[in-house]
Amino acid sequence: MMKKKIGSILYITVCFLFLYLPILVTMVYSFNSSKSLTSFESFSLRWYENLFTSGEIMNAVYVSITIALLATAISTVLGTITAIGLSKSRRILKEIIINVNNIPIMNPDIVTAIGLMILFSSIKMEKGYLTMLLAHIAFCTPYVITSVYPKVRNMDPNLANAAMDLGATPMQALVKVILPMLKEGIYAGVLLAFTMSFDDFVISYFVTGNGVSNISIIVYNMTKRTNPTINALSTLVILVIVITLVTVNVIPLIIRRKRNPEDEFTDMNRSLKEEEA
Amino acid sequence: MRRNKWKKWVSLMTGLAMTAGLLAGCGGSSKPTLKVYSCGEYIDTSLLGEFEREYNCKVIYETFDSNESMYTKLQSGERYDVLVPSDYMIERLMKEDRLQPVDWTLLSNAEGLDAEILGKEFDPDNTYSVPYFYGTVGILYDTTVVDAADLEDGWELLRNTKYANDIYMYDSERDSFMIALKALGYSMNTTNTDEIDQAYQWLIEQRDTMKPVYAGDDVIDNMISGNKAMAVVYSGDAAYIMSENEDLEYFAPEEGTNVWQDAMVITSDCTEIQLAHDYINFMLDAEHAYANTVEVGYTSPVTEARSRAAQQDFAGISAYLPETTGENNEVFRYQEQNIREYFADLWTKVKASN
Amino acid sequence: MRHFIRLIRPYIVWAVVMIIIPLLLIVLYSVTTGGNDLVNIQFTLNNFKKMTEPIYVAVFVKSFQLGLLSVGICLVIGYILAYLITIFSEKVQNLLILFVTIPMWINTLLRTYAWICLLSDNGIINSILGVFGMEPMSMMYTDFAVIIGLVSDLLPFMVIPIHTSLCKIDQSLLEASMDLGANRFQTFWRVTFKLSIPGVLNGIIMTFLLSISTFVIPKLLGGGQYMLIGNLIENQFISVGDWNFGSAISVILAFIILIAITSMKQIDKEEAEEE
Repeated sequence: MMKKKIGSILYITVCFLFLYLPILVTMVYSFNSSKSLTSFESFSLRWYENLFTSGEIMNAVYVSITIALLATAISTVLGTITAIGLSKSRRILKEIIINVNNIPIMNPDIVTAIGLMILFSSIKMEKGYLTMLLAHIAFCTPYVITSVYPKVRNMDPNLANAAMDLGATPMQALVKVILPMLKEGIYAGVLLAFTMSFDDFVISYFVTGNGVSNISIIVYNMTKRTNPTINALSTLVILVIVITLVTVNVIPLIIRRKRNPEDEFTDMNRSLKEEEA
Repeated sequence: MRRNKWKKWVSLMTGLAMTAGLLAGCGGSSKPTLKVYSCGEYIDTSLLGEFEREYNCKVIYETFDSNESMYTKLQSGERYDVLVPSDYMIERLMKEDRLQPVDWTLLSNAEGLDAEILGKEFDPDNTYSVPYFYGTVGILYDTTVVDAADLEDGWELLRNTKYANDIYMYDSERDSFMIALKALGYSMNTTNTDEIDQAYQWLIEQRDTMKPVYAGDDVIDNMISGNKAMAVVYSGDAAYIMSENEDLEYFAPEEGTNVWQDAMVITSDCTEIQLAHDYINFMLDAEHAYANTVEVGYTSPVTEARSRAAQQDFAGISAYLPETTGENNEVFRYQEQNIREYFADLWTKVKASN
Repeated sequence: MRHFIRLIRPYIVWAVVMIIIPLLLIVLYSVTTGGNDLVNIQFTLNNFKKMTEPIYVAVFVKSFQLGLLSVGICLVIGYILAYLITIFSEKVQNLLILFVTIPMWINTLLRTYAWICLLSDNGIINSILGVFGMEPMSMMYTDFAVIIGLVSDLLPFMVIPIHTSLCKIDQSLLEASMDLGANRFQTFWRVTFKLSIPGVLNGIIMTFLLSISTFVIPKLLGGGQYMLIGNLIENQFISVGDWNFGSAISVILAFIILIAITSMKQIDKEEAEEE
């Protein structure tokens, strides 16, 4: 058994090496004193200095983050209420909406991007921050709906009715009863939407204008001369992401360990039940 | 009641969207704004801040990667004040009434311009355009790999199988066809489809025998690292690359080449006309022109800036002062739509053929 | 719960404006000429006729070959990885899956640049080879470089759905199968693999969609001569300016993908019905 595990560990390590090699290279060369991306001369922080003094890059960071946050917030709200409404709609309407909702997911990015670009140009909307935000909401919302909707379907509708029978307004029933039950689905949707928006290049590239660019567009435009400043930026991005993800994922583990074992038992029972459903 | 609820959601969402729009638009206050659209990596960006302070304005500086993509952006409804396109594109914009005449009396620094560079065919009286950079297209080669005797081949050097798998072509439709047409002894502005078809064949054969890489601007890094024996480049890029790698040399074949010029123009929908002239004048100032030319390596039309850069920063680098007077040299001209489409189609095929 | 039906209305409006109309606009552009001026358009099928020229058909074929190849490689590497991850305890599994996810959060373009540094003629890999006295290899601007870039970008999208469906498999089924006399391999093939098919299909769809429409990775790692569908479309819109032809290619691409996915889902359904 032990032997087998060693083999597995070896394979997993090789795969991770392959996935992390480019990331590692980026990080190492962000500390290179020379411009070269192939030979490491000596340790230096000059690219970090450059990064914080470059208005262009800081602007792109601002655009990427605010767009991702706003698009995630708006598409989560829109997607969640749609998923709730969807489960109660007539069958035919439901099918139509689900199919339409699948279009942006199944369509290649480039087709979605071009459709939106043509739309914005034909209504003569000035391209920039707002068009980019609208486009991001457009491609994030379907992902939220697909992750929340299955949870809505599995939910017991009587609970909300019971709450309203007991005098809760529909708004209260929504916030206090329904939303907590959809927590996991919403959480997954938020993560997915934020990742999609933050990493997007193709759609942003086609719908932006007026000097508004996100990190991806800046990186794409920097092909001309190698600029290790970008490596410094991505090193920071990587650090922030790793720290956030690790804390988000590790803290619940620690908290769970501290709770008494009885809780753990009920937790397990609950998850078992969920699986049966 | 319930109706109000979802109205609230909607208004909340539109509210959020509006705030976002405001956030993005803020900082604009009442300062005049100038939108400049130029080629990427074509300026010493610290000059923009200097200009903003001096004229108490805001500059939105956007970049494009080719004249064609700039044109597409204009076509999609985008609005700019000052553009920095190339010769043939300027002629096209002129013909389509997208430019307004430059008021030369507002350009006090114009006298510093080299008169040789003015009055090219695409805008004979410089009614619309003020030169920004100029140069030629040629072959940058590694002197340790390429045999000096082979240079006699001119453009055919790019089909010398000794260097198969060892060249970069430039991923640009007009420049690639220019090479093929010049190698065949035709004008690069030809409209004769027979000649164009022959040039297409030349490129296809080159692709089959030489397996070139159609590089974009990544050619700069690759040549600095000495990855291949030769590359088709603009003289300005050649000057920059040569300043980083001493083994390289630049030459423009005698069969003729493209003598290009990138110039500043003012669009017809520009409203900040005075500010646009101020910007152009600012860039013509010898100090500023010098900063730009040193930063990017392209040749400045401002005499003083050019001679200073040639003596100090690019001393001994031939590509910085390219030969433009050769009798076979030409300037790109405007193409009628049908010819343009003919070229575009063939170029897609050259790149897609396998 | 009836009260919540109205919640669906904002999205209906939104979907019409942001999903359906753009799609209709693309279709409209694809069957007309007259460029971007919507005033003087003319109906034509020439854009589609142009697509039948052998050179464009070849671009489609090449894109699909490359897409399928990288999906195949991802499937093999990714399935093994997902399967091996399930061997570990739940806590370790969560951590390993987290580490599979992290690269997805880091800009694709940045990672592609790093591959350029690794693969270029004077790049890191070649200098390491040089230390061991080996001849440098030319890797940039080849199929190899493009596939490496694609696989490293797509692998997480394959591993995660497969791992999810492997986790759902009831261990007692495997024990039952062994008890009934099946050997390890039979148990894997007849039980484990069969039950993981939904995850596999999801992974294939995700990676295939992403690989078929990419234009950045081939452009950066394959050079300008590396023409795939994505590059062809980008070229038409950005450099050539022929939006009509570009739209026609997009319509065909969307159509082919629609058919591919529907048939995949059909397989999934049939599998489910067999159970």
